[in-house]
Amino acid sequence: MKKVDKKHADSYFRARVILISCSLAVGFSVSYLVVLLAENLLSITFNGFPLHYYMGAQGAVLTFIILLFLNAIVSDKLDKKYGFIETNKKDISSKKTLTH
Amino acid sequence: MSQFMVSLLLIIATFGLYIGIAIFNKARATSDFYVANRSVPPIFNGMAIGADWMSAASFIGMAGTIMILGYDGLAYIMGWTGGYLLLTFLIAPQLRKYGRYTVPEFIGDRYQSNTARLIAAIATIIISFTYSIGQLSGSGVVIGRLLEVDVAVGTLIGVVLIAFYSALGGMKGITWTQVAQYIVLIVAYLIPVIFMSLQLTQNPLPWLSYGEIIGELQELDKQLGVTEYIVPFTEASKWQFIALLFTLMAGTAGLPHVIVRFYTVKTMKAARWSGAWALLFIGLLYLSAPAYAAFSRFILMTEVAGNSISNLPAWTAAWIDTGKLSLADQSGDGILQWSEIVISNDIVVMATPEIANLGVFVIGLMAAGAMAAALSTAGGLMIAISAALSHDIYYRSINPNASEKKRLLVGRWSIVIATVVAGLVALNPPGAITQIVAWAFALASGSFFPALLLGVWWKRSNGPGVIAGMITGLTVTLAYIFAAKYGGLSILGIIDTGAGVFGALAAIIANISVSLFTKAPSQKIQDEVMDLRYPEQLTYKDGEVWINDYKDV
Repeated sequence: MKKVDKKHADSYFRARVILISCSLAVGFSVSYLVVLLAENLLSITFNGFPLHYYMGAQGAVLTFIILLFLNAIVSDKLDKKYGFIETNKKDISSKKTLTH
Repeated sequence: MSQFMVSLLLIIATFGLYIGIAIFNKARATSDFYVANRSVPPIFNGMAIGADWMSAASFIGMAGTIMILGYDGLAYIMGWTGGYLLLTFLIAPQLRKYGRYTVPEFIGDRYQSNTARLIAAIATIIISFTYSIGQLSGSGVVIGRLLEVDVAVGTLIGVVLIAFYSALGGMKGITWTQVAQYIVLIVAYLIPVIFMSLQLTQNPLPWLSYGEIIGELQELDKQLGVTEYIVPFTEASKWQFIALLFTLMAGTAGLPHVIVRFYTVKTMKAARWSGAWALLFIGLLYLSAPAYAAFSRFILMTEVAGNSISNLPAWTAAWIDTGKLSLADQSGDGILQWSEIVISNDIVVMATPEIANLGVFVIGLMAAGAMAAALSTAGGLMIAISAALSHDIYYRSINPNASEKKRLLVGRWSIVIATVVAGLVALNPPGAITQIVAWAFALASGSFFPALLLGVWWKRSNGPGVIAGMITGLTVTLAYIFAAKYGGLSILGIIDTGAGVFGALAAIIANISVSLFTKAPSQKIQDEVMDLRYPEQLTYKDGEVWINDYKDV
């Protein structure tokens, strides 16, 4: 076990919180915000769909999928940047998981 | 060959495949080679999560609900996918690091309270039980059509099948079986949508082509003078849409049988990737459901409505026998009008391949896919119920000296009793499949979502707080569901399916205020919560952060 500078660890956590907040903000705007404004989007069409319908049926879901993949990629990069690379998966899990 | 034989053979063949994979894997698991390297890649874990997740509600119920409700039904699409955002960002990786096997166990240990674990176990039983009513109701639709009997008789046969399937037990946890189930399920769902897309638009990509059909539906609706398909908030208020959306999202992030799947991955990193792959595979079905709904409605409006009542296509008779379809010539003009077709949400997906005349094989494949969806999820729910009863309640709270044999017996009996009772309720289902399942989500968002969210993100939250939160959340949610469904209560137009928003709000307020008025949790627990901020290999202890260097161990 090696000690990690607390400031270093906290700045990692801050970066993660920013990533999570931004992603959730985008996720909420493509779903809740569009629903709130649905009546105003009736006249706009996209690929044959009225925009509010498109967002509900496809746009929101596609955005969610992209957000989750972006999160996985960016989080990996973040782990690497801060030097927290998972070297041996098996050992790590055996320390943490309780068995009955 | 008759439709009945083809459907039956396909159902038996796919179930033979699942059982075969399970047996093959069990044999392999005993070999040292396999145990030494058993981690499942996130991509396959994602498929397994998808199979676990997609139940009768997604497969049989959802497209029909969208067809009947129009835009308002899309809350199910956004809610059930958006839940994975909350789950993957806020809950799953952290729970993975905490390293407990079940949700009641996490709650009991994190909040250092046996009472909290007991309440969590009871909540697991209530949620899983409600959810399984929807599954049994779904299997009733499939079996009812297959044997051309009333849905109630189909449900009874489903009860026997599910009790048997759950008793096989071990099959559930095997990832490769679920990967096979996912593939059967998604192929069964996509083939009819693609065929319908080709028939109606000459384009093999339904996701791109159904915008055109939506446009034509708008025209048809205008001519008939009925409420337009795409106009928002015709069935319920805007606030109901948003409440339902929240309920389904928060419920997804709090469903015990879904969260458990994230414990099987090895690291927080793997949990993030599993979440992403899972949503991609789930999204494939969810992006197709609105297309399915639009094609079904178009075919019903153009090919069924307007026919002479004495000359209805052959498929109608079998579905009228199930009691879920009624075609009556109320106006007495000998022509079946669109408004005279009364079709249940629950049969749209199963009936459409027949309506579109897609052939015996596709119809049989749909039946096999639907059975996989209903039975696999119901099996998992029954196992969750029996684990909560035999482990968390009986063993840990009532009889700590119980032998393993006795616990197993309690588990088996709880499966049989739960299946039979759920089956009796499903004989006369209290709502459409998606609606019943939405109640389960409301209960999860009122109980587990706040408990897990605060447990992971707020170290000050304590035992009395979570007990107050879960009891308040469950009470408020249940009370709202019953008051809205049977008492006509509605706040801002929010009905029973949106109850989770009130439950979650009440639970969060109760948890926070009771926690602040009582003693803070022990330093050890607070350290454990701080520890969840950092990646897998970092440990937080006494205000310092340590990196585990496993190479030295």
